[in-house]
Amino acid sequence: MRKQRKKQWILEIVILLLLVAIAGGIIAYKQEAANKQQEKAAKNTITKVDDLAGKRIGVQIGTTGDIYATDYAEENKGTSVERFNKGGDAIQALKIGKIDCVIIDEQPAKAFQEKNNELKILKEEFANEEYAVCLAKGNTELKAKIDSALEDMQEDGTMKKITDYYIGENAGKDPYVPDKNNKGSAGTLSMATNAEFPPYEYFDQGKVIGIDADMMQAVCDKLGMKLDIQNMEFDSIITAVTSGKVDVGAAGMTVTEDRLKNVDFSITYTNAKQVIIVRDHSVSAQKQSFKDSFYNNFIKDHRYQYLVTGFGHTVIITFFAIVIGIVLGLLIALIRTNYDRNGSLPLLNAICKIYLTVMRGTPAVVQLMIIYYVLLSSVQNKLLVAIIGFGLNSAAYVAEVFRSGIMSVDHGQFEAGRSLGLSYSQTMRHIIIPQAFKNILPALGNEFIVLIKETSISGYIGFMDLTKGGDIIRSITYEAYMPLLAVALMYLITVMVLTAGVNRLEKKLREQER
Amino acid sequence: MSQTEVLIHVDGLKKSFGDHEVLKGIDVEISKGEVIAIIGPSGCGKSTFLRSLNLLEEPTAGRVLFEGTDITDESVNIDTMREKIGMVFQQFNLFPNMTIRENIMLAPVQRGKLDKEQAKQKADQLLARIGLSDKADSYPAQLSGGQKQRVAIARALAMNPDVMLFDEPTSALDPEMVGEVLTLMQELAAEGMTMVVVTHEMGFAREVASRVLFINDGTIQEDEKPEELFANPKNERLKDFLSKVL
Repeated sequence: MRKQRKKQWILEIVILLLLVAIAGGIIAYKQEAANKQQEKAAKNTITKVDDLAGKRIGVQIGTTGDIYATDYAEENKGTSVERFNKGGDAIQALKIGKIDCVIIDEQPAKAFQEKNNELKILKEEFANEEYAVCLAKGNTELKAKIDSALEDMQEDGTMKKITDYYIGENAGKDPYVPDKNNKGSAGTLSMATNAEFPPYEYFDQGKVIGIDADMMQAVCDKLGMKLDIQNMEFDSIITAVTSGKVDVGAAGMTVTEDRLKNVDFSITYTNAKQVIIVRDHSVSAQKQSFKDSFYNNFIKDHRYQYLVTGFGHTVIITFFAIVIGIVLGLLIALIRTNYDRNGSLPLLNAICKIYLTVMRGTPAVVQLMIIYYVLLSSVQNKLLVAIIGFGLNSAAYVAEVFRSGIMSVDHGQFEAGRSLGLSYSQTMRHIIIPQAFKNILPALGNEFIVLIKETSISGYIGFMDLTKGGDIIRSITYEAYMPLLAVALMYLITVMVLTAGVNRLEKKLREQER
Repeated sequence: MSQTEVLIHVDGLKKSFGDHEVLKGIDVEISKGEVIAIIGPSGCGKSTFLRSLNLLEEPTAGRVLFEGTDITDESVNIDTMREKIGMVFQQFNLFPNMTIRENIMLAPVQRGKLDKEQAKQKADQLLARIGLSDKADSYPAQLSGGQKQRVAIARALAMNPDVMLFDEPTSALDPEMVGEVLTLMQELAAEGMTMVVVTHEMGFAREVASRVLFINDGTIQEDEKPEELFANPKNERLKDFLSKVL
């Protein structure tokens, strides 16, 4: 028996390794094919702005590039706009030929181009624009403070010093040093940004740095405040500012009429251009060996730590969401079965029914964002919000699983308990629930497997879970295969461990009855 | 204790399931030490009547007085009353997630009658009495039907009830196991336990019962000592019934 089980384990692992090998083979083949396709699609026909008509344009969602490209597509029939969550994703799509060009801000474009020499930036810019810091409407006091700090910085050369550190010939030479005397006595200033937009904001060794980050640090130093940077999706920044989650948004953000409807802007702090990136076919893509790619994605600058931290968060969210799910789910199931059998607590039963309908009738990602931006808009702790969000969602499913389990226990068990003088709750606790739990264990295990994977949407509220950790690596290295494969493998192993645990528990509980 | 002390007094008991009236007004008194056998054709309401005595079925009308307390009164704590009314089911209803000993210990411990150590001693005494000491740590699934039903009786006895209700206790058993359960019930009767038994075992009704109730069509149609009822049935329906089962 024991030996057989061991054999089965070995078999499972062999099959898994085989699958990984096949996946690796397919990926290598695809990469080869993509390279070839890229060479084939060599005839890049975009050399100036007028050539864009009828092409596939990639943009980062919610950016001014998106706004301009959308307007352009409306005026020029046949032009399509593909919107990506991150600039880096658009660049990857461009590299493999899924789109024809990317419209993005000049400085990030340069940063992307430096790391991907098979791309080039067209000389002719698409549009000119100015960046500013956004604040909640009517926050005039803070706006006045930031405006005056920015004016000071323009005059005393601080702004130029910060920009020069990131852009131009002297880049990397003379960084802005935060004021040591600033103890943050005037409070904390929280700033939303989207750290996938180098050189304005990006991750470096686990920290958000860039022109905007340094600029806001300098502003805070002038105001005697402590800076708290919160990373999130670009299209979430304005929502975060209006809902009061953060004080300001600084993310290379251009003042537009639509944005002015929802937020106020500070004075502009820099000028920028929207440029067009295309594939440069005079240069063929540099080929990276597996070893280089592995080093680049995981070892260099300790990038594996994004995965480790993200994995830790995924495990924490899942664990506590399961606890909330079981406790709340059981409670709902008890209320519902009690009503079905005895007709008691009709009001509470109705509330539970509505809860189940809403929770099971809307996508978890929408629930999570509603909880973060609307219901718990004053809560800053994203881990807590994620735990609550996934816990409440899971409870709805667990409740129905528990209810089916309670219903599956023979009514005679209930009567036997009550006839001995046990109360309703004693009967439930000692007789019905233990049996129900055993019956539903496979379904419960299934629910938790779904939950682990569901937490991958935490990135929507800017929380770094495992998926987001892989995304950050992707935004630094512009490679999709290695980080995505690593993330997939980590989920797979976690689910396998959980499944093995549930199976063991199930066997242990079943053994009693034989 | 006098033989005439009334333990259960049933007064105008009616029970309907939807439009179907199963019990149409039952009045009966059960005294301490009596062994009552309830017989009748299936569907006549005899199980419903038995289950009304500990309120597993809630009567539509009428009262059930147990030791002078009206248990149909909502202000009465039914759990406390049920502690004194043991019940044995046709399908045994042992708890499959507990060992035999745990099955017996559960109610005395949870209801605060005994502490764990006392309950364990009590369980072991009862198991010795029914001859199943070696099964204390087994699970119900490992027992035969007859053994299960004896454990179910021991489980009810662990609460020291004043009366034991049996709902067709041998109907789900293989024929060769019926004897061991009836023997145990006979011993209980001999010790003076008050018992109400719904049964198809006419032999048991004749030899062990002190009184036999014939229920038909939701009413008690005959209430006699067994020797009289079996030898001299007055009711036509009873004659018809006996001619079929004897």
